[in-house]
Amino acid sequence: MAFDPTDVALTIVKIALVLAITLSITPVMVWVERRGSALIQDRPGPNRVGPLGLLQSLADALKFILKEDFVPAQAHRWLYTLAPTFGLLPAVTTVAVIPFGRPFVIPELTLFGRTWFEGGRLFEPIIADVEIGILLIFALASLAVYGLAMAGWASNNKFSLFGAIRASAQMISYELALALAAIGVLMSAGSLRLTDVVWRQTGNFVLFGVEWLKIPAWNVFPMVIGFIVFIVAAFAETNRLPFDFAEAEAELVAGYHTEYSSMKFAMFFMAEYMAMGTISALTVTLFFGGWDIPWWSEPATFAGFLLSALAFLVKVSLLLFVFVWVRWTLPRLKYDYLMRIGWKVFLPMAFVNILIVAILIAMGWI
Amino acid sequence: MFEIVVFFFFAVVAVAFALMVVLHRNPVVGAISLVVSFFSLAVMYVLLDAPFMAALQVIIYAGAIMVLFLFVIMLLNLQHEPEPLNRPIQRFLGYFAGSAFGLTLVYYVVKAGVTVPRAEVPFLSDAHTIGVRMFEAYIFPFEMVSILLLAAIVGALMLTQREVVRRDERLADLEQEKPR
Amino acid sequence: MIPATWFLALSAILFAIGVIGVLTRRNGITIFMSIELMVNAVNLTFITYAREWSSTHGLIFVFFIMAIAAAEAAVGLAIFIALFRHRETIDVDEANLMHW
Repeated sequence: MAFDPTDVALTIVKIALVLAITLSITPVMVWVERRGSALIQDRPGPNRVGPLGLLQSLADALKFILKEDFVPAQAHRWLYTLAPTFGLLPAVTTVAVIPFGRPFVIPELTLFGRTWFEGGRLFEPIIADVEIGILLIFALASLAVYGLAMAGWASNNKFSLFGAIRASAQMISYELALALAAIGVLMSAGSLRLTDVVWRQTGNFVLFGVEWLKIPAWNVFPMVIGFIVFIVAAFAETNRLPFDFAEAEAELVAGYHTEYSSMKFAMFFMAEYMAMGTISALTVTLFFGGWDIPWWSEPATFAGFLLSALAFLVKVSLLLFVFVWVRWTLPRLKYDYLMRIGWKVFLPMAFVNILIVAILIAMGWI
Repeated sequence: MFEIVVFFFFAVVAVAFALMVVLHRNPVVGAISLVVSFFSLAVMYVLLDAPFMAALQVIIYAGAIMVLFLFVIMLLNLQHEPEPLNRPIQRFLGYFAGSAFGLTLVYYVVKAGVTVPRAEVPFLSDAHTIGVRMFEAYIFPFEMVSILLLAAIVGALMLTQREVVRRDERLADLEQEKPR
Repeated sequence: MIPATWFLALSAILFAIGVIGVLTRRNGITIFMSIELMVNAVNLTFITYAREWSSTHGLIFVFFIMAIAAAEAAVGLAIFIALFRHRETIDVDEANLMHW
């Protein structure tokens, strides 16, 4: 396997970029969550640390680093320490297959009389364009359950164990609904690659061979049921309200991370926000056209790439705000009600969605 | 060269964690080691040009079956009783027979493993090919496996159901103040 | 290009480790995990040969094996839970009611 050094260099640049954005989601989201919740609850929110409370995340990070890091008595030391890593792993690795911009042709770069870069190479803004794209995301996301289960068990604490078992059961139930809701999208795209899914959503909506009303051809319009199932399952997967039985502040002390403090707790915290970011990116890619700017076909230049990447970030940010908005608006349901609707309402809805999409494709309307 | 390094690294990981499953006395550690072992096997499948099967391996085995194992181990709270060991003679015979079997198997597999030479056609292992083959030639086993899974679900529910007392019987007992 | 015999040797080693697990342990769930290890070793063999002979049939066989192993795991663990409820232990040597 011969490695082209330019390819390797470009991949490293992509990894650095994506990792920088993914890791910086946490401090930004902490601030958004706290100011956003304050806005919804009609109170000021953090406004002491820095202008508008912008340095609050820095203060939180400092607090986490300076707290005492302990292992509870008779807890299983190895698994207790390993659990936050399992929580972080899916959140950080699944961004590798999500396309974040329009592929463009790198122009020739000539500076100071020397040609640094010959033009003509196509830059694919996706770290790993494997042919099983979305299956990789499902595979790695199903490993998130282990972080939860290990944290709850290894803490040697009944509350943690209950929280972990409830949260794991909820996560594996809604994983099914998540995957089935995404199948509608994959059927319409005809491929498992996320780049194909996004290319399918460029342009305008064509029904009966005629462009009606210039609606962008995003998947959310024909597959509304699939989108609803997907977004609900996304809330359940990331353990956000109204599905946050993992934490359940009023019921279980702090659920599976009761016995965690300092950097290990910070890793769980980061993992939750990064998972939110990844699932938002996935939802945008599958249902909202990814990097596609509606009503405009971007040219294959660097400017086109930048604008499409910006559009992607804007869409992901809007969806992240919806996550925060729902958290502070909806109440938490009863656990058995939740499991019941997960299996008896959302799973059949996902099947109905597959049926509808299959009929639409067979009629040639998508 | 890169492939050989990856193969050896993940082969060592797979074998080491498989040994941990078999030799460690705590079943939770065994379950997590098995997950790591399955993950290394998934990497092996990628090296064998079958990435779809690798994804399936992680989703089904590491993501669903082992979660089930972990649930059962955690709920039965098995870690507090240290597992009694078998009698030494049984353990010795087990290790000896297993190792002898393993060594013999490895020797003969390496010596006479692949007799028919490689085919020259390219290996198609993507989802489309497998899907087409599944729905054309293997449609009957596919439907039978779905019925089998239904039978497994019903069977598992039946085996673990506690004794279900009818509601009117329970109310009648309460009225007579019969201790249950 | 990695020769197929390396994969087959790895599969044989994992199978043998599974056999040792089944013969040596008393904990029912560990025995079950060793059985799953053996099944996975066989999966590796199937995929190795599928790649050797460029045949999709091997992959479909592995697909079915995975589905059936999932069903088997569900039912097997249900049996263990039922056994645990009656005997309060998962030790397979204690499940000896057939010789009172």
